[in-house]
Amino acid sequence: MNKTLTILVASTALTAAIGVPAWSSIHRPEGRHDRAVTVLPAEGPQAMSLILASSDDDDDDDHHRRDRPRRGHDDDDHDDDDDDDDDEGGKSGGARNPAPAGTVAPPQNGLFGNGMPPKIKVN
Amino acid sequence: MKSLLATLALTTALTLPGLAMARPVTLTTTLNNYGGDGAYLALYVTDASGAYVGSLWMAGGKSKYYEHLSDWFRATGGDTAQVNGITGASVGAGRTLEITLDLADALFDAGYTLHIDAAVEDMRDSPNEVAVPLTAAGAGTAVPGRRYVASFAYDM
Repeated sequence: MNKTLTILVASTALTAAIGVPAWSSIHRPEGRHDRAVTVLPAEGPQAMSLILASSDDDDDDDHHRRDRPRRGHDDDDHDDDDDDDDDEGGKSGGARNPAPAGTVAPPQNGLFGNGMPPKIKVN
Repeated sequence: MKSLLATLALTTALTLPGLAMARPVTLTTTLNNYGGDGAYLALYVTDASGAYVGSLWMAGGKSKYYEHLSDWFRATGGDTAQVNGITGASVGAGRTLEITLDLADALFDAGYTLHIDAAVEDMRDSPNEVAVPLTAAGAGTAVPGRRYVASFAYDM
C-alpha cells in the first residue's frame, strides 16, 4: 500500500513537474498574443493611418498624374526623383550636361583650328 | 615637268596657310592644396572690349554646378553647347591639369584675354581666378591665381 502511495505521489509529482511548465508555455504565448491584440488596436489607428496615407498618396499620384498641373516631369513623384532632376541640370534651366571631350568636335567659336583633338593630362 | 611643279606649288600654297593659322598650345593649371573636393574650372576668352568670345575648356561635367562659375555663366547663360567636346573631369586639389589644344594664331597678340573661373563644392566661388593676356611674349610665364589656382601658364 505504501508502495502504491509512493508510486502515486511520485507520478503526481512528476506530472506536476512536467505538466505545469508545459501548461505555462502553452498559455504564455496566448497571453502575449492577447496583450498584443489588445495593444494593437490602441496604437493601430495611428500606425495604420500613416501607412495607408502614404500608400494612398502614392496611388493617387500615379493615377491622377495626367490631371495635375506640372512644373516638371517629376514634381508628383518622390523626393528621390527631385534629386534626379537636379542631377540633370535643373538649376541651369534644364540644360543637359555637355558632351565630353573626344565624343564630339570642339565648338566652332573661332578659337580652335581644325587639327588635333584636345589632349588632356592630369598629374 | 612644269605642270608637276605648278601642282606642287599650288598644293603648298594651299596647305601652308592652314598650317600657319593654328598651333598646338598647352594650358597648364596647377591647383593649391585647398582641402576640398575637385574644382570646376572654366577657361574662356574675352576680346579687347571684355566681351566673351568663346570657351577653351570646362573641367567638370555636371552642368548644375556651372552657375558657380559665375562670370562664365553670366557670359554664356550657362549654355552647355559652348563647352561641348571640350569638357573633362573636375581637378583635384593639388593636381595639375595640362590641356593641349589646337588654337588659332589670331588669338595671340590681338588683345584677347584668357580667363579662368573656379568653384569648389561648399567653398567660395572664385570668378576670374586668373586673367592673362594672350601674347606670344607671355608664353611660358606662370601667373598665380587668386584662390584655388596656384599657377597657370600657356606654352606654344
